[in-house]
Amino acid sequence: MAWDRGRHAAALAEPPVPAPEPDPLPPLTAEERVREAARRRGWRTSPLYRNKAYLFALFVVAAVVLVGLFAPVLAPYPPDQPDLSSSLAPPSPEHLLGTDKQGRDILSRLIWGTRTTLLSALFVVFISEVIGVPLGLIAGYFGGWVDALIMRAWDVLLGFPALLLAFVIVAVFGRGLTNAVIALGIVYVPMISRIVRGVVLVQRELAYVEAARALGASHLRVLGHILRNSLSPILVQSTIDLGYAILDLAALSYLGLGVQPPTADWGAMLADGREYLILSPYTAVAAGLAIMIAVVAFNLLGDGLQAHFDPKRRR
Amino acid sequence: MKTYIVRRVIQMVPVLFFTSVIIFGMVHLSPMDPAIILAGGHQTSPETLAQIRAKYHLDKPIVEQYLLWVRDALHGNLGISFRLQQDVTSLILQRLPISLELVGLAMLLTVLMAFPLGILAAVYEGRVVDWIASLLAFIGVASPVYFTGILGVLLFAFHLGWLPAFGTGDGFLDRLAHLILPAAALALNMVALTSRMMRASMLETLSADYMRTALAKGVSYWGAVLKHAARNALIPVVTVTGLQVGFLLVGSVLVEYTFGIGGLGSLIVDGVQNSDYPIVQGTTLFVVVVFLVINLIVDLLYALIDPRVRYN
Repeated sequence: MAWDRGRHAAALAEPPVPAPEPDPLPPLTAEERVREAARRRGWRTSPLYRNKAYLFALFVVAAVVLVGLFAPVLAPYPPDQPDLSSSLAPPSPEHLLGTDKQGRDILSRLIWGTRTTLLSALFVVFISEVIGVPLGLIAGYFGGWVDALIMRAWDVLLGFPALLLAFVIVAVFGRGLTNAVIALGIVYVPMISRIVRGVVLVQRELAYVEAARALGASHLRVLGHILRNSLSPILVQSTIDLGYAILDLAALSYLGLGVQPPTADWGAMLADGREYLILSPYTAVAAGLAIMIAVVAFNLLGDGLQAHFDPKRRR
Repeated sequence: MKTYIVRRVIQMVPVLFFTSVIIFGMVHLSPMDPAIILAGGHQTSPETLAQIRAKYHLDKPIVEQYLLWVRDALHGNLGISFRLQQDVTSLILQRLPISLELVGLAMLLTVLMAFPLGILAAVYEGRVVDWIASLLAFIGVASPVYFTGILGVLLFAFHLGWLPAFGTGDGFLDRLAHLILPAAALALNMVALTSRMMRASMLETLSADYMRTALAKGVSYWGAVLKHAARNALIPVVTVTGLQVGFLLVGSVLVEYTFGIGGLGSLIVDGVQNSDYPIVQGTTLFVVVVFLVINLIVDLLYALIDPRVRYN
């Protein structure tokens, strides 16, 4: 392509002369400065609002959460009412996504499954944070052998491929949703803990920490201040982790280690649908697409939140 | 270099020790008594239970049990499966080849697809090709292997009828036909990640000074891209791709389950589903060791390429 060759051949030419700096704007008045600061903090300058992909992800996540909350109202049928007379029916006006092997409405199961899936993913992230955040704070703040000890522990946990560790925990404590959630919660601890530690390492060098210590604040109190200033990276990571938790929980349920029938859940539906894929693909495809869309949305929203909290990305 | 290798290997020892303690200890935290599982779960006389305990060393103190387990593992003996009544080591060795074939084919597909895609995306940065590549990568990263596998079966096996859906097949070509869908499902995530990395790496090398030199001395544009930019861009990408082999091994668990392939992955799933502790312990230990060794090899390769790493 000629146009493209030209672009890189341009590297042969002299480096471009930097354009002269534009005239500095007249200095802002105090009032304008306040207004500008407010504008920069506001919603309209946020990448979350300006970037349509992030905004879309936000809407999808909101929709998923609402569907989970209002599942009983939204679902046209109960999630586990078998009707063997209409087994494996294709989509129709009565059953918009068809029915599964036991004649249950797939749409209703998908809607109720949103609740199971989302709630269990939330618990996974919650467990990982209850353990990971305090230990990350302590490791980063105190440093030294405490830091080394905690970080080596995470190295050991990271020595296991993530899902494999979850397998072992589930194998030992038995199958079921509760154990799957606890297992994944533990698996997710090292990541969040390392991120918190990284943030603390930067924060503890800042003036406010020194100031607080000079004023006689206890370590606990200073840690509280640091935690408040670390909330945005934690929120970003939690959002991304929620997506991965949905993915991994579905994997465990798919292998029959997580959610047990007849509970409606996306991963369990996928496992169920796989059994009779050749007869009717609707169960598996509906559940799989739901997982994919949710994961993409949470991932993207995580990126969007990161941009949202970054002052450099405001205009 | 020699001291670096020694140091890296020594660093592995504590990690290996603690992982083995976790793998071993976890099973002994179980609320279920393995002797009862071994006896088949139903009521058994205390004498039979005592006999079983003696046979599997379950009557000894826990530290001694651990030491016995480690000693046996170092001798390549990972115990006997509760359910299959077979030697775990030979079970692993039996199931390993098909998993390696699967992972190898997935690696091959990744390299064949991701490198050209990354190069094209970088050369045509901001153009349609780049846009399509980034969309593909985006979908690829989010799509779970178990679902892409199912979609593949629906499309290529049931709908088009080109490829078989389940099993492993006999003979080279039949086997390849059986493995191509699972490998593709496994590769999709990797293609997404690797092509993005290749693109980022290429963007750097495309604007490097040696590119300017090559073009100035009259090398054709694509000649310079492939011989100079791509070759240099490959170095970091290859090392990271090497690291992903471990993840492929775990991803293959899900893929093997989807496609009914009797590899290492299905052995793990079987073990977990049936609380077959020797299998769970043995396979986990095996995969963790493989994982660590791959990390070690990648680190050593990296140190070989970039001497600065050694002196860190």
